[in-house]
Amino acid sequence: MAFNFNWSPLMADTSRARDMLTTALNKSPKPPIIVDDIIVTELNLGSTPPELEILEVGDLAEDRFRGIFKMSYTGDAFLTLKTKVQANPLNTYLSTKPDFASPQPLAAAASLTIPLQITLSDIRLSGFVILVFSKQKGLTLVFRNDPLESLKVSSTFDSIPFVRDYLQKEIEGQLRVLFMEDLPAIIHRLSLRLWSSEYEEETEERLDPPKDTTVPIDPLATPPQDAVDEFGNPLDSSQISALSLDDGVHASFSQKNIKRLAALSESQHTLSLFTPEMREVVYRAWAGQSDRPESGVNTPSLTRSSLSRIHSTFGSTKSAGSSVNSEHSAGNETTNSRPSLSSNNSAFAGLSLGAGRSRASQMRNRKKRVVDLRRTGDGAESSNTSTGAANTPMTSTNVSETASVIPEEYEEEPVTPPRSPLKAGRSEQSVTTNGLLPAAPLLESPPKFSKSKSKAKGEPPSTPIREPEKYDRSRPPLSNNRLRSARQSTSPLLRSLSLDQISTRNPSSKKSSKSKEQPESSGGILEQAWMLKMAQEIAKKVHEDKEREAAEMDAPPAYVA
Amino acid sequence: MLDFMENVQNAFYEASHWNLDNSYGALNATARALLDFQTPKGLRLQISSLAAPNFATSYTLGTVGVVDGSVSYLYSSLPLTRELKSSNLDLHHVIKGYRHLQELRKPDEDWWWEIWHDGKRIDRRDTLLYGRIFLPQSRLEALYLRRLTPTKQLRISAVSDSSLNNGGTILTLLQKDTGKYSTEYMYSTDSALMGFRGLYNFGVDPRLAPTTPVTVPQILDPVHGRFSAGAELYYGLLNKSGGLSTGLRFTTLPNHPGFPYTMTLTMNPLMGNLSSTYALKAGPNLALCSRFDFNFYSYESELQLGCELWRRRRNTEVEWAVKKLRPDWKRPAVAPDDDVSGILKARVDQDWRIGLSWEGRIKELLFTLGASLDLKKREQIFRAVGIELQYSS
Repeated sequence: MAFNFNWSPLMADTSRARDMLTTALNKSPKPPIIVDDIIVTELNLGSTPPELEILEVGDLAEDRFRGIFKMSYTGDAFLTLKTKVQANPLNTYLSTKPDFASPQPLAAAASLTIPLQITLSDIRLSGFVILVFSKQKGLTLVFRNDPLESLKVSSTFDSIPFVRDYLQKEIEGQLRVLFMEDLPAIIHRLSLRLWSSEYEEETEERLDPPKDTTVPIDPLATPPQDAVDEFGNPLDSSQISALSLDDGVHASFSQKNIKRLAALSESQHTLSLFTPEMREVVYRAWAGQSDRPESGVNTPSLTRSSLSRIHSTFGSTKSAGSSVNSEHSAGNETTNSRPSLSSNNSAFAGLSLGAGRSRASQMRNRKKRVVDLRRTGDGAESSNTSTGAANTPMTSTNVSETASVIPEEYEEEPVTPPRSPLKAGRSEQSVTTNGLLPAAPLLESPPKFSKSKSKAKGEPPSTPIREPEKYDRSRPPLSNNRLRSARQSTSPLLRSLSLDQISTRNPSSKKSSKSKEQPESSGGILEQAWMLKMAQEIAKKVHEDKEREAAEMDAPPAYVA
Repeated sequence: MLDFMENVQNAFYEASHWNLDNSYGALNATARALLDFQTPKGLRLQISSLAAPNFATSYTLGTVGVVDGSVSYLYSSLPLTRELKSSNLDLHHVIKGYRHLQELRKPDEDWWWEIWHDGKRIDRRDTLLYGRIFLPQSRLEALYLRRLTPTKQLRISAVSDSSLNNGGTILTLLQKDTGKYSTEYMYSTDSALMGFRGLYNFGVDPRLAPTTPVTVPQILDPVHGRFSAGAELYYGLLNKSGGLSTGLRFTTLPNHPGFPYTMTLTMNPLMGNLSSTYALKAGPNLALCSRFDFNFYSYESELQLGCELWRRRRNTEVEWAVKKLRPDWKRPAVAPDDDVSGILKARVDQDWRIGLSWEGRIKELLFTLGASLDLKKREQIFRAVGIELQYSS
């Protein structure tokens, strides 16, 4: 990779850098020979940019970067300092000594302060630079070793060898401190100032997640570069366009689903049985997502490799939930007794990460992949959603094998919860499953999702549900930690989604795992349809996996497949 | 005000007939006492005792934000006879003010110090050992003082402190004072600094005085003053840097008919520093001093003025009776300066930095009140305020 330095604008205005350098130079305790403040009077970055060689890129995303460079600089930058120095070496020598054992000269230590102008030029730098950039935290630049190779100090005392050597030594020492300690701080502050507007925006979002809806990012507006279908087969551009134009309002479709997911996860946080239906799902795989702190927690418990991958990438999903799902699903693929909650979790994961990603997963690039589940058949899906919440986990597990499948399940899952209250049996099931949950406001969320309930009863979810949005808004802002993790996903939609997941996942998943014994509700139509679509060869494998998972129950290896 | 231990050391010098003033380092001692006096910071208490004529202890406790203190012990092989009790010590011993130089005295003959017993010399060199540890800082000061001969003295002072380079420093000083001249050689372990100081007194050589016949004009026209010249030279072996200065002093002697005064001129030709002081004792209770510094390389100059005022209580009820007494009738005095209520020292420089101190004795306590002010900094005029209390028995 090559760097094209736009060096000239850096040279233009150095006043701010001068001020910062001045404060930095005066911050650390000065040697006794310097008896006045050090003032940077001139700073010129020169015309030659430094040379950078990439040694390692640890993290790469639109808003994040972490890498190690080898930097060398042999340019013509120079720096002019002004200060006052003590010209009497005896004075500086005695000033640091205790009086008791001092010779206490009569006048030989008389002070003579001399204004001094120092010009630092011929700076030769070479070192390893660790550069970490993130929009939220600004730019962090650290030198791994002492970058200062040599520099030329020219001052008013060049004719006096002792003073010249002394100055050279002292200044080199100070510069080393500057490079190793002060410069990173300065750059960090500068970067924060530079991105302060965005920074503020971010903080706003953090404080008020619902606002994300105001700036939705349409994943289909810019077709993903390597979109895949449910089976992980790459989609050509025409297909994608077809997908996107399905509604004519493609911009909103994924967003709604995401909101629904958010609502769903929220409902799982409580005892609410409502699950909004998800018609279309958008997956976005981001290279760096697996790096999030939460991912590690989630991964181990996931049974399906794909699931686990998804989880890990998305980071917010709970492992426990997924494991439960797998257990339930173990017996039957299409119809599965499942704890709706746990299945939801997995669904979330799938949603967020996108099956495509898991398939193409190994290569971590930041390309977005979009999977449109609608292709699987709106009608089938909708019906599925209405009927089989229980099945969703199954599907999810299956899906995990073929990464592409995942979106469907979560479509189904969101739907199920609302259904349960309506149907007696279902509600009972859900209750039993949720038995461990605290008696949270069951009814709070359902009323909002009345529409979804109706859909759950079997209506095809043709009309997008608006309620989730409201629900989203009504939610109190999440804690900063969770938000922060969520924020890392670039698109606001994903962000909000992830937030929801994060907030709700943990408790629900745990509970769901305990509730695995639940009788499985009849396999959702959607699931069945989905299963039909699924490749035959996959089905067997999935089956086996599920069984295995069921046996393993709690802690399946993260990347079994 | 002098520390108790410094007072004890001065007592040792006095007892061993060592003239502290006859050294180039003390050339401008008067000006320094009047212009560079320390103003106390915070609260400091000192309790000291000369438990035996040869042994002294002192404890100090101070607070300047944090509480610190020191413990010091002193041993002198020479019995110290100076009055050191704070209730009735001579205030002139502990308050550094105008130094009225005395006539040079002839150094002791070597054989004066010899003590023979059974055909063997049993006399020993007078020695002083002193140690002081500052407690929170774990800093140790040590002093070894030895009178090698009546004209020679060895002084080794050391400081051990972890914050110093190499954990400490040692200064060795070999001093020779013959009255007519004095020389000092020094070596400091810190950067291997070597130094030499010399002072020469013009005029009569005290060593020869008794042998030469005294002429009439000499008696009629005694020497009223003394002119001295000296120089110092330092060189650090490790950092290859040095320094030097030369100085002149003229001071009046006790038989001077007018008011006593002292003038010094020191010059540092390397750094272009020129400093002249003029101090005069305008009366028994008042001393004035001025100093002018000028650097002919940087053209920086500095002017400092200072004064010392001894305030005495007036007993107005018996004043009239005292006046009627015959002048040669000696009144029994309880203590030499019993009527001194306090000594005020003040200094000011051209930047309106002011130092004030008020020292004195209340009952058996010696006290020092001090403050340093900076009138140019309106927001914080008082730079430091402090009080010191000393008690010794």
